[in-house]
Amino acid sequence: METVLSIKNLTKRYGRLTAVNNLSLEVQKGNVFGILGPNGSGKTTTLGILLDVIRRTSGEFYWFGQEPTKEMRKRIGAILETPIFYPYLSATKNLEIVAQIKGVSKDNIDPALKKVELFDRKDDNFKTYSLGMKQRLSIASALICDPEVMILDEPTNGLDPQGIAEIRELIKSIAKDGKTIILASHLLDEVQKVCSHFCVLKKGTLLYSGLVDDIDKGIINVEVGAASGNLEEVLKAYPNAAKITEENGKFVVELKEGGAAELNKYLFENSIEASHLLTLKKSLEKQFLELLAESDNAA
Amino acid sequence: MLRLLKIDLTKLANYRAFNVLIGLYAVLIVSIPISVIEFLKWLKVKGAEFEGFDPMKIPVLHFTDIWQNTTYVYTFLRFFLAIVIILSVSNEFSYKTIRQNIIDGLSRVDFIKSKLATILLLSFGSAALVFFTCLITGLIYTPNLDYGDIFVGSEFVFAYFLDLFAFLIFTFFLTVLFKRSALTVFMLLLYRPIELTIIGLLPDNWDFIGDYFPMQALTRLIEIPFPRYWFQEIQDYIAFDAVAVVLVYIVLFVAAIHYKLKNSDL
Ligand SMILES: Nc1ncnc2c1ncn2[C@@H]1O[C@H](COP(=O)(O)OP(=O)(O)OP(=O)(O)O)[C@@H](O)[C@H]1O
Ligand SMILES: [Mg+2]
Repeated sequence: METVLSIKNLTKRYGRLTAVNNLSLEVQKGNVFGILGPNGSGKTTTLGILLDVIRRTSGEFYWFGQEPTKEMRKRIGAILETPIFYPYLSATKNLEIVAQIKGVSKDNIDPALKKVELFDRKDDNFKTYSLGMKQRLSIASALICDPEVMILDEPTNGLDPQGIAEIRELIKSIAKDGKTIILASHLLDEVQKVCSHFCVLKKGTLLYSGLVDDIDKGIINVEVGAASGNLEEVLKAYPNAAKITEENGKFVVELKEGGAAELNKYLFENSIEASHLLTLKKSLEKQFLELLAESDNAA
Repeated sequence: MLRLLKIDLTKLANYRAFNVLIGLYAVLIVSIPISVIEFLKWLKVKGAEFEGFDPMKIPVLHFTDIWQNTTYVYTFLRFFLAIVIILSVSNEFSYKTIRQNIIDGLSRVDFIKSKLATILLLSFGSAALVFFTCLITGLIYTPNLDYGDIFVGSEFVFAYFLDLFAFLIFTFFLTVLFKRSALTVFMLLLYRPIELTIIGLLPDNWDFIGDYFPMQALTRLIEIPFPRYWFQEIQDYIAFDAVAVVLVYIVLFVAAIHYKLKNSDL
């Protein structure tokens, strides 16, 4: 596997505040890499350093195994935080500037605008755009060079539900081409849907880094509901149950062994007919909150 | 470099303030000699009280005086172009587009080069306009034209170019330092009086240092020519040491801009 980005002991200090603290990470080609963390955890700062707009205090990073240069950035499509364009210029003119900087043909502009559904408004000044349209334009500008790597910081900020779904599909389709995507977002649901890998930052420190698929490995939770009155007692007597919690009139059983089928069989043998039986996937959100809580306890 | 110039011009071409200021500037360059001539003609018409003296014979706009006279007056118009540079650079900071430019693949040095290219183009274009305006005005109005005289003194157009170029780079430097346009304009206006005050306060045996202050060196490129019409001695050549001092300042300002941008978060 080819390493697209490797970060080694990266640190950024603003006076006494450490925004990024000794961060080390690797992103492989084809990864869709989610960077999670509460507000102010250093996500934007990290991405800013990787894109050379923020000066690091110490540490190194390498794009495609080499020292970062402007030529590398030309192969990256990136948006940081809010969309940034010349307000008095039209979408087309703004993208012309991007195309000139990246040294790509102006012929790429119209397809990119079509892809984000801004083609009808391409001659309108950027300042007349709605927030969602501005966001779409910045995605168009990131696409203009047919990038090998995309860096997206809160790309769905301000988009309508349809827009969010479109961006999700866009990210998936770009990822399918074998492109690498680095995505910072607070929409954990989205991250879980599109990302292959994720990491969690807190106050600039890396708490966790791993595969999204690993989240629901291991412990299995099954949600059970039944009309029968003695459901709770029967469940408590189930030898494979590690923990039972009640949620909204239903019970969540954490299993030591087996799955929903075995549980259902057991219930049936105890003359309970489950009206509701659902294997719960552990959500990224839950994992995320647990990681943060753990680190709070450790501190 | 040409690519960088094109990028910066794309940013400016559709910017209304830029077009208005440049237009106004060009109109003033061309119209000042015309107005002066018209004024002299008007004096002549009203001229009974001149007792036979023809104001059109005052050689302000004749070869060879015209070169120094007009370029001296034109240096006061440089504020128009300074505003253009202040807006062009401060916009990049206030819109944060400098940040996006870097993200997209410009280096900080490229960014500086692209602005310098525009400054060079403006200075050069303006000097060319001045050159042709003077040439045509002189050809039309000089009586008893001696063709050998036409270009005598035209080196002041070069001095004008250098003056403008250095002044705009100084403006670029101030904008990078202060970032906000209004503040920069204020500082630019404030700077020269401060410099003059300091020069005035210098003890007598330190007087010569005054010539090495940046704006003072600029004014020494084209000295005021008009006292010659009341028979005073003037400096009707370009002081070589002033050129040298200005060139050094150009290098220093560019280095300062580079230093400032190289180390800052955008
Ligand atoms: N220019 C700056 N000067 C001082 N401190 C800064 C500066 N920029 C960022 N910080 C601090 O660095 C820390 C990390 O900020 P950063 O913007 O990277 O967070 P983030 O993870 O992107 O947050 P969010 O989720 O809100 O976007 C914050 O504590 C912030 O206050
Ligand atoms: Mg952020």
